Amino acid sequence: MMKIENLKADIGTKEILKGLDLTLEEGKVHAIMGPNGAGKSTLSKAIVGHYDVKITGGNIIYKGQSIVDMEPENRALKGIFLSFQNPVEIPGVNNAYFLRTALNAKRKHNGLAELNAAEFLRIMKGHLEGLGMKADMISRSLNEGFSGGEKKRNEILQMLILEPDVIILDEIDSGLDIDALRAVSEGINKMKDGKRSFLVITHYSRILDYIKPDYIHVLKNGRIIKTAGPELVAKLEAEGYESIEEEIR
Amino acid sequence: MKLAVFKHKTKEELCGLLRTDPAKDPLLARFITLGLPNKKSEAYRYFPIEPLLEKEYDRAVFIPKPIKEDQRIEIENGIVKCAPKGIRVYYKNNRHVDMEHFDPFYYLGHLLASNVIMIEIDGDVEVELLHRFTLPNTLIPYRLVIKNQANRHATLFESFEGEHAKSSLILYGYDLWTAKESSLRIVNNQTIQNDGYALIASHKFTVEKQANLVYKTFDFGDAAALNLFKADLDDYAHIDAGHLLYTTGNAIGGTVSQIVHKGEHSTSRQEAKNILDDHSRGIFDALIRVEHHAKYAKAYQNSKSILLGDDAYMAAKPQLEIYIDELEASHGATTGQLDPKQLFYLRSRGISQTEARKMLVIAFANTLIETIKDVRHQEEIKMSFEKTFYAQAKG
Repeated sequence: MMKIENLKADIGTKEILKGLDLTLEEGKVHAIMGPNGAGKSTLSKAIVGHYDVKITGGNIIYKGQSIVDMEPENRALKGIFLSFQNPVEIPGVNNAYFLRTALNAKRKHNGLAELNAAEFLRIMKGHLEGLGMKADMISRSLNEGFSGGEKKRNEILQMLILEPDVIILDEIDSGLDIDALRAVSEGINKMKDGKRSFLVITHYSRILDYIKPDYIHVLKNGRIIKTAGPELVAKLEAEGYESIEEEIR
Repeated sequence: MKLAVFKHKTKEELCGLLRTDPAKDPLLARFITLGLPNKKSEAYRYFPIEPLLEKEYDRAVFIPKPIKEDQRIEIENGIVKCAPKGIRVYYKNNRHVDMEHFDPFYYLGHLLASNVIMIEIDGDVEVELLHRFTLPNTLIPYRLVIKNQANRHATLFESFEGEHAKSSLILYGYDLWTAKESSLRIVNNQTIQNDGYALIASHKFTVEKQANLVYKTFDFGDAAALNLFKADLDDYAHIDAGHLLYTTGNAIGGTVSQIVHKGEHSTSRQEAKNILDDHSRGIFDALIRVEHHAKYAKAYQNSKSILLGDDAYMAAKPQLEIYIDELEASHGATTGQLDPKQLFYLRSRGISQTEARKMLVIAFANTLIETIKDVRHQEEIKMSFEKTFYAQAKG
């Protein structure tokens, strides 16, 4: 689905990614773990084309095409979705209007007819209940005044509606209570269809109790230093990232 | 006539030009003290007043006609055409004006207008007021006095039409009295496009004890339009002033104001949002003065501006002048581009950069437009804004 080859990227004048290699397999859940400052969020930003990140080397191949020079909206239209760690608030942009605009942009890109407001509301209402979201959240301004948990649920709502092919979840579990974590995880698990790929960026193992990963990648100092199966989580919890470094040495 | 004829004239010469007697008319003395504005005048330092003064205009003729009954008040070229039942609208030779106003055009407007249009609003009503201008290249001066009743709650929606008034100059304004324990909402929706008329509106608001005045202006387009006002607040009086400005082309416009806290526990809130495209210039030159008797006053003032055009310019000057310690006050101004984080968020969901920019600009405007609770008028203002904005975006 996506192949990242020897990716090097700067934020400002600092090199953060220093030759990162990663392959996201179709239908698989990849978890990225690593200490603070390892480059996890930079990786997610590099994939979606964030303006903070300057790619200085390597490549990101998605569905057989390099995307490093592609505009962010075109990456999204081709099926790449990032659930943000800190979703931005946009006063004055109605949540439902925003979602419909985004969905219709994608439908238009895929050669489908755009949905009117009534058709769109029918689709959205089906998702709201499952995520435990209040109906008034769709009529409010985008993320404005939302709690941390509400913002994360709203990210998942967008994911469910846009039905992307590669889903990047950047610390989706941060700031969530147990109920919210369960609702968000159920939303994510609904999207598993054996074809979509997931990249779950997290500091903690608890989200991985709900979203079962196929692979664990340890990212440190701008590179993937180890890839293993889900059993690696327990080792990391018990021994920390230093043990992995020692093992490599 | 040229307004420049009033420049550097002696009292006697001005008396002859304005056909008034200075002994009976303290207005004239005040106008002479302030002088005709020029580029060094405090209130007009950011506004190109001199070309308007030097331009030769026809003078609108004031011939009042019987006022017909209709659903709304219509004033055409400074003459009342119709008014609804229950609203007293009449002419009066009025010289009951504020002698401390900062704007010379406030006085010149009064001196040029033969009679003022009195509008007395009784009861809890909503009134629509349409200003229509049909004369090209014409100086159209007129003044209104608007009064409501104590303990009443009224709303006045002002709109403007002037597609045939190309190159005219409108000098209008009102002396507005918000009676004690009443509330009055004024909503002013104005779009001037395609090299239409220029407008200088100069107002005086008196907000009596425990009264509440809401004054919201929505100015869109590519013309020269300046809105000046002075507001005096008595004990426990409140003003909520909001100004949305969207300018294109070579337009210059905005607000110059003085809000004066004269009474204890008086409160003011003034918020300006400015969206400036092309080579246009925006003005927010606003002073809040808290005088000695205005203990426990609260004053809040803010201006936010987005520059869409590379050559757009915003002159934002929020000011506080405070003479007491017992108060709460804050002010601030920001000018910048669209928020890149917000722009990226929208684009990351597949929305094109052009569409995302439009969404953010409209959102910025909507935060002020949506303070208008009346749904029909809110929609009208949204439509005026979006029509101007999309016409610009398309062009």
